[in-house]
Amino acid sequence: MLGKHNFVCVAENIWEIPSTFRDDMRVPARVYADEDLLDAALGDNSVVQLVNTATLPGVIKHAIAMPDIHQGYGFPIGGVVATRLPQGVISPGGVGYDINCGVRLLVSQAAVEEIRPFLEEIASALYANCPSGVGSRGHLHLTNTDLDRVLQEGSRWMLEKGYASREDLDRTEEFGRVPGADAGFVSDRARERGRDQLGTLGAGNHFIEVDRVAEVYDQATAAHLGIYSGNVAVQVHCGSRGLGHQVCQDYVSRFQKTVRDYGITLPDRELVCAPCDSEEGQEYFHAMACAANFAFANRQLLTHMIRHSFEQVLAGQIKDFELRQVYDIAHNMAKVEEHEINGHRIRVCVHRKGSTRAFGPGSSVLPEDLRDIGQPVLIPGSMGTASYVLIGTTEAMQQTFGSTCHGAGRVMSRAKAKKMVRGTELRDQLRTRGILICAGSMGGLAEEAPVAYKDVSRVVEVVHRLRIGRKVARLEPLAVIKG
Amino acid sequence: MSFEEIEHTADRAFRVQGRNFAELLGNAARAMRSLDPLGPSGTPSAVRTIEVEGIDREALLVNWLNEILYMEQTLGEVYDRFQILESSNRHLHARLDGRQSSEGVTHIKAATFHDLAIEQTPEGLEATIVFDV
Repeated sequence: MLGKHNFVCVAENIWEIPSTFRDDMRVPARVYADEDLLDAALGDNSVVQLVNTATLPGVIKHAIAMPDIHQGYGFPIGGVVATRLPQGVISPGGVGYDINCGVRLLVSQAAVEEIRPFLEEIASALYANCPSGVGSRGHLHLTNTDLDRVLQEGSRWMLEKGYASREDLDRTEEFGRVPGADAGFVSDRARERGRDQLGTLGAGNHFIEVDRVAEVYDQATAAHLGIYSGNVAVQVHCGSRGLGHQVCQDYVSRFQKTVRDYGITLPDRELVCAPCDSEEGQEYFHAMACAANFAFANRQLLTHMIRHSFEQVLAGQIKDFELRQVYDIAHNMAKVEEHEINGHRIRVCVHRKGSTRAFGPGSSVLPEDLRDIGQPVLIPGSMGTASYVLIGTTEAMQQTFGSTCHGAGRVMSRAKAKKMVRGTELRDQLRTRGILICAGSMGGLAEEAPVAYKDVSRVVEVVHRLRIGRKVARLEPLAVIKG
Repeated sequence: MSFEEIEHTADRAFRVQGRNFAELLGNAARAMRSLDPLGPSGTPSAVRTIEVEGIDREALLVNWLNEILYMEQTLGEVYDRFQILESSNRHLHARLDGRQSSEGVTHIKAATFHDLAIEQTPEGLEATIVFDV
C-alpha cells in the first residue's frame, strides 16, 4: 500500500517517490502539495496512477502531480508528464477524452453593481442562447468543408466568419490554432459525433459563470490584463465535445495493438502510446490537434453567444458592458515544446492532463503584449466557490515544464455527492448566498456540489508559494449556467 | 446483482460479473445504462443489430460499450436491452432494443481500459470498468 512513508520531502511542499520505488519506474514521481493535500491524494488511487506514468518510454526529469491531483483513468488528473523526443512517446490517455478541455475568461469594464439589477435576465439569456446538457446541438450547420476548416483552423475560422476578433485570437493559447492539425486523420465517426455540437457547453463539470472580481493581488498585472476589482467577468469551461471523445477512443483502441508492435510494456492499458515521431504517434498528434482546434472554436462560438446575451439584456441600459478576452487556456493537451533540462535545451512532448500551461515572462510563444508579464492562467473553483487568475512564472519553466494546477480537484465521488446532496436544495442554498443557478439536471448539479471538491484557495496558495503560478486576482460567482 | 458501482473520485466505475463472457458483456452494458436513468418516452421503438471486434476480450468489451455510446449519440436512441447473439474472444454480434430519445442521450464520454482485466472467479468472470463522464 502506497503511503506517505514512500515519499521523500525534497523541498517545502514538494514530495518525491524515488525511481527505485518500483522496478518499472524510469524517473521519480513528484507531488506538489502541502501535507493535507498530499493526504487527500493518498485517499484514492491517484498516486499509483502518477507512478504508472513514470514508466512511460522516454519520460524525462519527473512525472509531476499538481496539488489538485485526483484519480482519473490511466494518468491522474492534475498530472504533467514530458517525454524526450524523438524516442519519447505520446499517449492519447495522457490527454484524455475531452481533448483541450479548457477555460476562457472575459472581463467587462462594467461594475457588478451596475449589472446586478439585470443579473437574472442575463442568466436566463445565457441559458437560452448557449446550448447545454447532454446531446445539446449548436446553432451552426457545418458542411464537410466547414468542419475540415474548423478542425484545421480552430478560432481562425471563427474570425473569418465574424464570431471572433483579432484580439480574441491573440489572447488564446496557440492563438486558437494548434499547428499540425490534419483533418485526414479524424475518423468519420468523430466527425459525426461533433458535427452539430460546435457552440455547445455539454454537461458534467462544464459551465458558464458570471463573476465579480472580488480581490486583486497584483494591481499592475491585473491592470495590464484589464482586470479591476468590483468589475464583471465571465468564465467558460468546456472542451471538444463528442468529436474529441471519439478521437481519443479511436486512438486508444488502435494503440492497444501499436504498443505490442513496438514492444512497449505498460502497467495500465489506458496508458497506451506510440513513439511521438513514429507514423502512429504523428497520426494521433494530427487528429488530437484537430480536436483541440474544435475546442478552441467551440469556446469561441460560445463567447460570441455570451456577448450576444449581454448585448440583448444590457444594450441601452448601462455603458461599457462589452466583454474583452483575458485569455483562453487548455488543460488537457499534449504539446511539443522545448525546455531547459540540466542546462540543455531539449525537445519534449508535454502531456498536461488536468494541468495548465503557465509560461513565464520572456516566452517567445506569447503575444508581444504578454511577453513582459507571462501567460495568464485561469483556475476555476468548484461551483459556488472562488476562481483565480494567475500568471505564469520563470520557476514553472524551471521546475514543471511551464505548468501549474488546473482547478480545485475532486475529493468525493459523483455517486457519493449525489447521495449526500440534493440538487434543488443546493440551488436554493446558493441562491441565498446571491448565486443564481440555471441547470438542466438537478442530479448533475448535485454531482458538482462544492463539498465534492478540495478547497481551491488552498490549491492556489500552494502553487503561489512554490512560485509555479503567481496570484493576480480572485473571482467570486454571481450566476452559474450548467447543462 | 450482476454489477455494482464502486468508488471512483472523478468518474464512474463498476465491478461487473457474468457466468460467461457473453453474460459479462450484457451486464457491462446494463451497468453503463444504469448511469443514464432516462424514463420511458413513449416514442417508437428502435432495434439494431451490431458487430464489434477487438484484439482480445478486454478490447472487445471496451469497444462494445463504446459502440453503444456512439450509436446512442449519433442516432439519438437509448437502448435498455442487450442481447449477445454470438461472441468469441475477438468478435461479437448483438441486438440492441431501445427507443428514440428526444430528451437527450448519454452523458458518458467513453468506457476506458483503465485497470481493466477480465478475471476468472469461481462463479464465472469478473471485470472492473471505469467510465469517463
